[in-house]
Amino acid sequence: MNQADLSKLVSALRIAVKPKPRLFSCPEGPAGRLKKLRATVTALVKYERIELNYPRAEEAQGYAERLISDAIRNGDCHKHTMEMADYWLNEKQLVHKLFKVLVPRYQNYNSSFTRLVLGPKTYPGYFAGTAILELKGNPFPALQPETHNYHYWLHNVLLEEAKKEFRSAREDRNAGTTESVTAES
Amino acid sequence: MLRRAVLQTFRQGLAQSFFKRNAVSLSETTVTHQTVETSDEGGEKFVSTQKTGDESGNTVIVAPPEFRFMYPEFLPDPAMETRNRLKEKLERMDMLQRRSVIEIPEFYTGSVMAVTVSDANSPNKFARFVGICIQRGGSGLRAWFILRNVVEKQGVEILYEMYCPLIQKIEVLRLERRLDESLLYLRDALPEYSTFPLDMEPERRLNNLVVPINPLKVKLRPRPWLERWERQNLQGVEDLNLPQRFYDKAEKVAKPWEKYDLMLHYRKTIPAEEQEKIFAEVQSQLQQQELKRKMRRRRGSDNEQ
Repeated sequence: MNQADLSKLVSALRIAVKPKPRLFSCPEGPAGRLKKLRATVTALVKYERIELNYPRAEEAQGYAERLISDAIRNGDCHKHTMEMADYWLNEKQLVHKLFKVLVPRYQNYNSSFTRLVLGPKTYPGYFAGTAILELKGNPFPALQPETHNYHYWLHNVLLEEAKKEFRSAREDRNAGTTESVTAES
Repeated sequence: MLRRAVLQTFRQGLAQSFFKRNAVSLSETTVTHQTVETSDEGGEKFVSTQKTGDESGNTVIVAPPEFRFMYPEFLPDPAMETRNRLKEKLERMDMLQRRSVIEIPEFYTGSVMAVTVSDANSPNKFARFVGICIQRGGSGLRAWFILRNVVEKQGVEILYEMYCPLIQKIEVLRLERRLDESLLYLRDALPEYSTFPLDMEPERRLNNLVVPINPLKVKLRPRPWLERWERQNLQGVEDLNLPQRFYDKAEKVAKPWEKYDLMLHYRKTIPAEEQEKIFAEVQSQLQQQELKRKMRRRRGSDNEQ
């Protein structure tokens, strides 16, 4: 039974966080794990959409979300946040990008800031397959097509009206034939 | 290996059989230190509720940010595998119920406290222990704290569970904080730093708004110690004066990357939004209880007059 650590205030992340972290096999050990994830997070902030193996993508997503949420909560004048940004982003112009571009973009977001999409899994390849990690609001075309079908779209409105017309025409025809049958009998 | 006096750590149930009922006040000199009044982490402490308006114009009750330091046991254990929202809610209700019966005051590691426990085996049915809080932990109804004192040259520590129904009274004799969150190094420090008279009177606070941080740096006894203090980043200890090989080994064994591990920090704490929700739920009842106690105290002092 442990008490929650009160030294830092963190924002809630809107991604599924697993209870235990994934340990990658690195020659440098745990320090090397963070070094590799740093490279991934830097690349994500730089290119806004990267394709990589799924386990690394999942771990880096957590760290990227934490970095952006800290930057939004505390701003760039907060010493601890700036230290974290300095550590996690290997290129220093990306620190400017984080605070000047990404923070205003995600200021009013109620969802997560990143999207993790499963990529192709080619045989023989790596067992876990690839994934595409991207920052939301990026300038590239969407990875997945829109699956929504709103009733107020014009073609849907026209189709609904056409259906109604067809049904009422069919009812009239049926009513006409039954009347003629009753008239005959 | 040197033989050392066995550290006697008790749970409150066993402690009764080891105490002399007429405690002799200790002749050891009390530690003189200067308390420096520094502002709390969250700035000035205020008791009134903060009311922020939401879009509809209704006031939303938000607890003051310092609540998380005053009542840390209301936050659940951050380990994700054992989280259960319903269990936590029921536990909070039980905690508030207990707090309505007995006053559990605000205290921190480094505060000197006196706890009275009901004890069937003692002549006056109560056992009182005074000590400095060296550590606190646990969440919910299992929240605990350890008090340490040196009684007749024997170091004694007792772990009290805050919500145990056997506890009759918890008094804070001196409310202050220290430079570290855990004072376990007092076990290896000179005894004068852990000695407090058993008949100590509660001290008046100079400033009700701010909890002072005592910048005392404690002197440790010569080695061997119970833990490798040079490997822990202790602020409240004087220079350890160890040979360089200790510091070299400490550097080799250290994990400096943990400072930057954002997900590790996330898994060890409760997010701010959840904290706000929990304290908003609990705050109005806690404030009502505090008001009632203040009224009772005022009425009591009026009756005396």
